[in-house]
Amino acid sequence: MSFLNTLVWWQWLVVVGVPIAIILLYFLKLRRLPVEVPSTYLWSRTLEDLHVNSLWQRLRQSLLLFLQILFACLLIVALLRPGWKGSRLEGERFIIVLDTSASMQATDIRPSRLEDAKRQAIEFVDSLSPGQTAMLITTSDQSRVEQPYTDNRALLRSRIRAVEATYRTSDLEEALRYASGLANPGRSATDPTDVPAPEPMPATMLIFSDGGYERVPSIFLGNLTPKYIPMGQPQPDNVAIVAFAAERGIDDPLQIELYGRLENFSDVDVQANAVLYVNGKLQDAKRLQIEAGGVRGVEFSLRQVEAGYVELRWERDDDLLLDNRAFAAINPPRRARVLLVTAGNEPLELALTTSQAQLVAELRIEDPQFLKSDQYRRAAAASQWDLIIYDRCAPDEAPAANTVWFGSLPPDPRWKANPLDRPPQIIDLDRAHPVMQLVEVTDLLIVEGHGLEIPPGGRALLDGDSGPLCVIAPREAYEDLVIGFSLFRTEDNRTVPNTNWPIRRSFPIFCMNMLRYLGTGSSAMALPSVRPGQPITLHSAVPVDALYVTAPDGRVWTVGREATGRFVFAQTELPGIYEVRESKGGPVVQRFPVNLFDRRESNIRPEPQLQFAHTTVAAEPTRTPVRRELWRWIVAVALGVLAFEWYIYNRRVYL
Amino acid sequence: MPLITSNDQRVATSDLLPPELLARLERMELVSRKIFRGRLKGERRSRRKGQSVEFMDYRDYVPGDDLRFLDWNLYARLERLFIKLFLEEEELHFYALIDSSASMGFGTPTKLRVSQQIAAALGFIGLCHADRVKLHTLTGPASVNPPVLRGRASVWRMMEYLEAIEPFGGTSLAESVRRFCLRNTGKGIVILLSDLLDKSGYEAALRMLLAQQYDIYVIHIFCREELQPELAGDLKLVDSEDQDVAEVTISHPLLQRYRRTVAKFIQEAKEFCTRRGIAYLMTDNQQAVERLVSQYLRERGLVR
Repeated sequence: MSFLNTLVWWQWLVVVGVPIAIILLYFLKLRRLPVEVPSTYLWSRTLEDLHVNSLWQRLRQSLLLFLQILFACLLIVALLRPGWKGSRLEGERFIIVLDTSASMQATDIRPSRLEDAKRQAIEFVDSLSPGQTAMLITTSDQSRVEQPYTDNRALLRSRIRAVEATYRTSDLEEALRYASGLANPGRSATDPTDVPAPEPMPATMLIFSDGGYERVPSIFLGNLTPKYIPMGQPQPDNVAIVAFAAERGIDDPLQIELYGRLENFSDVDVQANAVLYVNGKLQDAKRLQIEAGGVRGVEFSLRQVEAGYVELRWERDDDLLLDNRAFAAINPPRRARVLLVTAGNEPLELALTTSQAQLVAELRIEDPQFLKSDQYRRAAAASQWDLIIYDRCAPDEAPAANTVWFGSLPPDPRWKANPLDRPPQIIDLDRAHPVMQLVEVTDLLIVEGHGLEIPPGGRALLDGDSGPLCVIAPREAYEDLVIGFSLFRTEDNRTVPNTNWPIRRSFPIFCMNMLRYLGTGSSAMALPSVRPGQPITLHSAVPVDALYVTAPDGRVWTVGREATGRFVFAQTELPGIYEVRESKGGPVVQRFPVNLFDRRESNIRPEPQLQFAHTTVAAEPTRTPVRRELWRWIVAVALGVLAFEWYIYNRRVYL
Repeated sequence: MPLITSNDQRVATSDLLPPELLARLERMELVSRKIFRGRLKGERRSRRKGQSVEFMDYRDYVPGDDLRFLDWNLYARLERLFIKLFLEEEELHFYALIDSSASMGFGTPTKLRVSQQIAAALGFIGLCHADRVKLHTLTGPASVNPPVLRGRASVWRMMEYLEAIEPFGGTSLAESVRRFCLRNTGKGIVILLSDLLDKSGYEAALRMLLAQQYDIYVIHIFCREELQPELAGDLKLVDSEDQDVAEVTISHPLLQRYRRTVAKFIQEAKEFCTRRGIAYLMTDNQQAVERLVSQYLRERGLVR
């Protein structure tokens, strides 16, 4: 049992004055109603009897007074905030980490895991003794210090109450690094101007979470003592849509194939309807049974949907509703804009203008001199082309587009070529990559070529004996495909074939793959689904300064163009369909979906323990040591006393 | 003689004695448990041997006796002198002592009104039987010179006197009774109509009456408000007679205690009276006078 002083001395004086004032007022204000009676003789005799045991009689007569004083005293005791703790809190510093990831919206604890975590965190804050400080960090896929160290409990409580759930994934590493950095301050030993670090302060970190972390943070805990308070029931009920995508049919671009994947994370078999909505209207439904822990795929096919969005709903109420809906955008089919810069390359031009290729791409052919013009520079910077193919030539700087290089290197120091090798031998090819699908190179002969060095993040598609002959590597939002040999070479001022590839069947297939993958693959059908909170890069076909993105909640965001001509939109907090317009109130030019699609978040079973590097943090078997407050009960009793006093006053029912 | 005289007619209009009650009262008679001698010869036999025609007893002659009452026949036979004793007839003295203090002015009807009705009824009975009726208030101007009434013709005077009585001032029962005893030496029936709420006690007054060898009847009158007070809250009770103040906070236990006090008070008065041969009757203002007179007083032997 302990008390917390909530008032300063002069406030106590005022409070203590209240019962005294009640007593004084009782005697001052007691105004007896005069009533004439035949004789006071009998009354006097009655009262004389009363005086025999007068103390008790006085008590009874002053019952109202005593009830009032009792009421005042109860309130004063309540002001002292009596209570007891489950156990004494050791330590001086506490770091409260609240997980706000999507899985914390699960309702297996009512009203939700996050609300329960907030309640427990507030109870913990209430149990802090004077001198103990705490800070608040919220963590989803990024961590934020909501409140630095403070001993102001009211401030902490209000900060905790203000914490809102997000739809993001979980990542504890940032929060752990921050907390560890505070608990184990270091300094750079070499810099003499460095401010000496404060004394290491041991801290206890309370992690209110349900686990589900993607990475195992390997950090040094040192003075940091983590405590894991798991949120959630051990056997939650959740079925999630973990993937949903729309693709146009390979043969028929008007046919749209929809693929969804549902996973049952609960311990029982479930059965419900997977319902497809197109532009908000019910289109199709399938009854699915998913066994416990199992996965089911679902597919639909649509025709005659030019543009819009589709939504897949799993129509069953489980503990986590937000992953029961998934969205996909259907953007109108658009032919890729392809620029071929060449001094003359008939096989390539032929391969890029086949009837099939014309369905997916419109080709423009320019001379290498075009690369020097301002028109090219502006258009290349503004993403005018989806794909630029440089044949034995190179611009001064890389364009804002996907690129393919035949016999030349991009103007980027990361790209390096080995010395000329004649003839290079093809050793292997990466058939898994979309560009190399169905490409056969066994009968391919090359006269001369360069082995390439793979830049960071790159992937060899064709391996030769002197190094990779074909490499694809990312560059910002684009990809560069470099082929270490050209189709023609110059010999004695004559242009002669360098390879027999153009006359092989694999060449047009390769070109078609190239157009599909680098030209249309990324933009024609749909922008990829992003997770909540992740940025997405948008492009515009027309040179506008800003795009207008309408979020699912109706908010309109203006996205300015960056120097590279891209538009980066980061406000993807809510899952759903985001609409992109090129002008305010204009038509929707494209849509992109934001979906959770995270098995870890959808698997809402709370983890029994957390693993940090070499430390295993078991779930706290009991709740955090919280202070049990008595004042509410005392106030309730006081109100009861008040009601009793009122009853007696009105009914005159005495003991 | 008509049942109701012209004088009675006036009385009949008063609600003190309704006509139907008059008829009943007329057949009743005041009875004294003692036999007293009045100054005039009345209708009653007296224990005192006197000069009526009815022989009662003999006794030995002692010198000085009236020779006229010697039984000469007996002397002739026995040669001893005997005096013949005769029953004497005498009138009955009926006194009604009405407490008219302020405390009697409470209740609906007031306790005083009840006293007046009882006094009127009993007085009427007395007047009908040629008794000597004297009504006496213990306080107020009417107490100074009460009329002595006798015979039916005095009914209206009695009524007039009774109607004039108003509650007035405080009572000292003992003092008032002392004055009454000084003025009225004759013996007879005394009926005391009072609430006995005298802070100095009623015992002295009753003892004084006892000493005068009156045949005493005490009719103890309460009003309903005294027996079952309907009071609540923090009150300042003011005595109607001496303005004495009692501060009380009415509560359920206090009311219970008060009722016990009242019961004890009544019990004490009853015991005091019974031990001393005083007839005691407690009544409240809700009791019908007719029933009181014709039933309860009859049971106690005051009327027959």
